Amino acid sequence: MPDPILKITGLEVAVDNTPILKGVDLEVPQGEVHALMGPNGSGKSTLAYALAGHPRYEITGGSVLFGGEDLAEMAADERAQKGLFLAMQYPVEVPGVSVMNFLRTAVNASRGEEIPVREFAKLFKEKSALLQFDPSFSDRYLNEGFSGGEKKRHEILQMALLEPKFAILDETDSGLDVDALRIVSEGVNAQRGPDLGCLIITHYTRILRYITPDVVHVMFEGRIAQTGGPELAEHLEDKGYVEFGSHEPANAPN
Amino acid sequence: MADAPAWAAEARTTATANLDALPVLTGMEEEWRFTPPADLAMTGPEPSGAGATGTVVLPATEGRSARLAFTDGVPAPAEIIDLPDGVIVSELGQALIDHESLVRPRLYSLAGFDDRPGALNAAHWDAGTFVYVPRGVHLTLPVETVLTATGATGRVFGRTLIIVEEGAKATVVDRYVSPDLDGPVQASSVVEMFVAEGGELEHVSYIGWGSGMRHHATIRASTGKDARARSVNVTLGGDVVRVEPTMYCHGSGSDARALGMYFATGNQHFEHRVVSRHEAPQAYSNLLYKGAIQDTAHTVFFGNLVVPPGAPGTDAYQTNRNLILTEGARADTIPFLEIETAEVKCSHAGAVGRVDDEQVFYLMSRGVPELEAKHLIVYGFFQEVLDQISFGELRDELAAAARAKVR
Repeated sequence: MPDPILKITGLEVAVDNTPILKGVDLEVPQGEVHALMGPNGSGKSTLAYALAGHPRYEITGGSVLFGGEDLAEMAADERAQKGLFLAMQYPVEVPGVSVMNFLRTAVNASRGEEIPVREFAKLFKEKSALLQFDPSFSDRYLNEGFSGGEKKRHEILQMALLEPKFAILDETDSGLDVDALRIVSEGVNAQRGPDLGCLIITHYTRILRYITPDVVHVMFEGRIAQTGGPELAEHLEDKGYVEFGSHEPANAPN
Repeated sequence: MADAPAWAAEARTTATANLDALPVLTGMEEEWRFTPPADLAMTGPEPSGAGATGTVVLPATEGRSARLAFTDGVPAPAEIIDLPDGVIVSELGQALIDHESLVRPRLYSLAGFDDRPGALNAAHWDAGTFVYVPRGVHLTLPVETVLTATGATGRVFGRTLIIVEEGAKATVVDRYVSPDLDGPVQASSVVEMFVAEGGELEHVSYIGWGSGMRHHATIRASTGKDARARSVNVTLGGDVVRVEPTMYCHGSGSDARALGMYFATGNQHFEHRVVSRHEAPQAYSNLLYKGAIQDTAHTVFFGNLVVPPGAPGTDAYQTNRNLILTEGARADTIPFLEIETAEVKCSHAGAVGRVDDEQVFYLMSRGVPELEAKHLIVYGFFQEVLDQISFGELRDELAAAARAKVR
């Protein structure tokens, strides 16, 4: 079995001094796709932000190793440069910054060298077609006026361009219609493999019909409550989170 | 400059006399408390010439209809590239003689010499430009003037007079550039622009000095009935810079906009005093200035919408936004209103804030280092102003100049 790309041990995280994660243990071997499910408020997104290095999410205990290196010591940009990617649930609007300018800056930063303009143009063309973006999309301002589906597809486009070692998809399925979910899932499936592992964070099982996980974890009240194979997702689809003390269903709401 | 005609010589004499007669500005005056005139080298002995590091390379004249360039006040031969019939682009000293009937009624009429900065400029300007666009003529490419200081003289004084006649259309760029200078050099500039009924003028002022420069800039625009004037001012260079644009809505239905961006770094000090005056009913004005401040730089924005009695239907807006990028940087914003007409729509807003943490995190999570992320956000923030510049090439150049400040 390959070394884990992500090894989380006893992780405790507080937001504005309120403890949210209370001892998370989670290991993802390189190249595997894991699903992290759980009802609202269980701490899934907190884990995502803490891993990506959002300054508001303070690691108060435990450890996170990424490719054997301590993530807690790194700022968000360094984590990204090491190959960690977070597809955000709510991508942030940055007025006046064009998609093209943003993507080129991000690619340069994560590679640590300037990508030649022609090479970037070719790469952009190829990957944006995969995610069904019109070329004029590159002139729009970052996430400004994007539909919900465009925002999520754009997150996956960034993942395709930045070629991370490991990606966390935080509720990428929320707010997507079936077509957008299919495009996003195909984008992820095209990239998954020995060089890219994923942690798919979701409340609902719907996206897991398109992206089959190797392992499914259930988070509840800031800890991993259960771990199993893909059948665990099917079980949650039927029963919801009732056995974890929540009455929320896990089958798709729309 | 050729010998000035008597009327112009007399104006200069009066301006010089006013300099002696006007009270010396101490910096204690309300209008001057943020930027003492001494810091602008407006008081005390004239600075002596300073040495310079490097030289200035002017951009190609490609994409211009004409260019006038002045080095330390001395004009280079005018480069007239492509001007339609009847359009005049001339050195202003020569225009006093050649085009008296056009120049005399207007020169000093928007910016006179009864205050100290006005008197200083009127008494000493030598690098002058006159632009005249006759009725109905559309000038498709910009006219550009370039004022360069090399440090060989202690002061550079420029003056621009622009007349856009009825239904005519033009773009004029005033560019102020120098290498980094070893000591202070005083710069003064006055731009007067007149847009007649239904005319349209876009004026871009780019203050791109190197270090050492102390610049007082006055920009005044008068819009006639249904005329449109747009002043875009970009302040990036110089040690101490004060820019005073005033938009006069002289005709009903006129549309006057003053847009600006500034990026102050190191120890720079910029003040912008931006005013619109509604002298006619049913006019529209919009003042929008955006700034970024870094290191120990300090910027000041004072804005004012003035609506005297008798200007119903005025529609006026004023916005100033500042982003503080690092500890120690400072911005003051003072949005002001003077409204003496009842039926008007006016709004004003001023804000000083930090770059949004969520935007910074989003960019950093894509591998972009923190300061670079902030700069990317700042350039995006400026884009709203840059988007108002019609000529893409100029827009790109100014965006690149802002980026080059922190490379």
